Amino acid sequence: METVIKVCRFDPGKDTVPTFQEFAMDLEGTQTVLDALLLAWQQDPSLSFRRSCRSAICGSCAVRINGRPALACQTLMQQASAHGGPIIVEPLPHFRQLKDLVVDLEPFFDSLKAVVPWLVLRDDYDGRMTPEVARRLEGPATCILCGICDAEFDETGHVKPAALVKALRLAQDPRDAAGIHRLRLLQTPPEILKLFLKELPEKCPKGITIDASKCL
Amino acid sequence: MIMHEVLIVGGGLAGLMAALTVSASADVAVLSKVYPTRSHSGAAQGGFNAALGEDDSIEAHIFDTVKGSDYLGDQDAIEVLCADGPEVILELERMGVTWTRRADGGIAQRSLGGAGFPRGCFAADFSGHVVLHTLYEQSLKRGVKVYPEWHLLELLVEDGGVAGALVYDLARARFEVIRARQIILATGGYGRAFSKTTNGHANTGDGMAIAYRTGAVLSDMEFVQFHPTTLYGTNILVSEAARGEGGYLRNTEGERFMARYAPEKMELAPRDVVARAIFKEIKEGRGFDGHYVHLDLTHLGQALVAERLPQVRDLAIRYAGVDPVSVPMPIEPAQHYSMGGVRTDVWGMTTLPGLLAAGEVANVSVHGANRLGGNSLLETVVFGRRVGKKAAELIQQEPSPNLSRETVRRALEPWNALLLSRLPDSPQADSTFAVRREMTTLMTNQVGVFRTGSELEDAVARLGQLKARYQKLSPPGQAKPFNYALMDYLEVGYLLDLSEIIARGALARTESRGAHYRLDYPLRDDRNWLHHTFARRGGEGPELSEGSVAITRYQPQERGY
Repeated sequence: METVIKVCRFDPGKDTVPTFQEFAMDLEGTQTVLDALLLAWQQDPSLSFRRSCRSAICGSCAVRINGRPALACQTLMQQASAHGGPIIVEPLPHFRQLKDLVVDLEPFFDSLKAVVPWLVLRDDYDGRMTPEVARRLEGPATCILCGICDAEFDETGHVKPAALVKALRLAQDPRDAAGIHRLRLLQTPPEILKLFLKELPEKCPKGITIDASKCL
Repeated sequence: MIMHEVLIVGGGLAGLMAALTVSASADVAVLSKVYPTRSHSGAAQGGFNAALGEDDSIEAHIFDTVKGSDYLGDQDAIEVLCADGPEVILELERMGVTWTRRADGGIAQRSLGGAGFPRGCFAADFSGHVVLHTLYEQSLKRGVKVYPEWHLLELLVEDGGVAGALVYDLARARFEVIRARQIILATGGYGRAFSKTTNGHANTGDGMAIAYRTGAVLSDMEFVQFHPTTLYGTNILVSEAARGEGGYLRNTEGERFMARYAPEKMELAPRDVVARAIFKEIKEGRGFDGHYVHLDLTHLGQALVAERLPQVRDLAIRYAGVDPVSVPMPIEPAQHYSMGGVRTDVWGMTTLPGLLAAGEVANVSVHGANRLGGNSLLETVVFGRRVGKKAAELIQQEPSPNLSRETVRRALEPWNALLLSRLPDSPQADSTFAVRREMTTLMTNQVGVFRTGSELEDAVARLGQLKARYQKLSPPGQAKPFNYALMDYLEVGYLLDLSEIIARGALARTESRGAHYRLDYPLRDDRNWLHHTFARRGGEGPELSEGSVAITRYQPQERGY
């Protein structure tokens, strides 16, 4: 299919405001927006965007597609062009644009540190965990730290969304010494937490669900 | 100038495991071309082998691995891999890995190819991902310094030893020199040398090529693993776990064709055997549309697929448009893993003082001519830990290497010139993209699963031509942040070097062993070829020589499945 994608360009060395550059190309509907960006890059090698796994597991290619944060490699062209107009690709909102589609990830990765983002092993852990508990941890453990939730949710209190996902996983881990007490440290108001857990599955590209009954 | 006692290049499983180990006793930093959690280790799905089961044994794991390697693996290294396995799995469990569990609460294990027991510890089909993220959490706990999106450009050598690294900070478009007493390479493989590969865009063999250029020995580069089951077209990985959980391979006649190639192990024969079988089926006219076969999970039921293979299901639905619960997946083999790499001893020491290596970048060699599923993830954590221990030990024993201002100045000169080079005013006839496209197509078509002398000779000649074209390209060397074109240019250079070594090694090895299959020499030839292929950089390209294989308990036998 003949497609036009409009890509946000910003070169901190010479631009004061971002601009858009159009790229025309021919792609299959089953190809992805990442494929489109790679073709655009061949047309203009100065275009910058992150990518690696191209199978929605590394989290590199999180961008804003037609206004919504998404993984470029997980967004099919037929989906992105369903509205009929050109596909608009911008950097993630709520992140500082460094160049073109590349945003500053330092504050994002730093935000994890707010929740003691590692297991604090209980002294009396006996090496056993029931399959049911293990399965409950599995959802949040599939978080790929792409940053899309941080771009999607406006306000979750002082703990940012991705850090919240990590904290809620650790809080449910029977091996963790702090366990459910981690929730108190979050200081996230219950109504905000509730809304977050409700909307997360739909906004997260991995569709992460966290059992709210265990967290509230 | 930045200084660290130990510098680790690569932030995947091997690199982070090494970093955690070193951090217990010494100053360490991780330099990585992507943020560590973006590393391709995270794409590994199937599991980590370890003989935990009551019926299983370390001895059985050793034998399966030796046989799987077609007797080219070094048995002393394989003993280490298998013996350390159970302990490392439990160490990961204490770090917080969310292993899938058995009903009694123990760590569940699944069957993977070429194994006599269900030996793969897993977390659904996100095994690499959850361990990568757990190790990253631990690196935060230990305060490991990370230089994300910094690229290794050159290893700096003084008095015959590696004393530092010249690196490039992609965000700030500037060079830095990092002095280190020991440098550990954990940069992974070179999958992007092939047009059909499961590997991510970052897998361009940087560390392997840079070590080779610095004078380190590479070993067994002709042994390239082609994964039997990747989604047709995109080559996105479909884990061996899909067969481990009971999936069937079928041709156009609906037949489970593995019965004719590996009557005992069927779909769970080693990858080299299954990949060849699939291509043979396609070649003999039993492939769909002449290009692919089916991986059929439809008899497994929705519950099992959803519980054990959720990622495979998502990937198939999105990228192949089929839900494997009800429709078989179209699959074809594609490049997946490099058995070869920077030659190391069982402690990860390379042939260059001051340089160590672990994980896919290294050839220790536990996989020999063919790697078993679940053994590479195990290798990353076992040898990542060992190489970390070794590096920590070496900085206690060895004097701090000298790094002269003159060496640094000489190293920086060409890179500074590159960065300041002007882009040509007129559009160029040739491009990095064109060279890359031709190289990767050539590698897939002529240095793939089935090889012949004449095609390999042609491949070597054409790689030479591509290298000559590459030399003439104008580097996109502008000092701008996130100049991916410059990185791409450098990466194609690494891949060309490695492709040449792979093709030359494959041409030289006139036998068939493991993943290296020569149609013109279809039999294994232990009399002439039971040895490693060492490659050193010479004046006129790679110089190949023989290296002996460590055989401790298992003499080569016929390898049937």
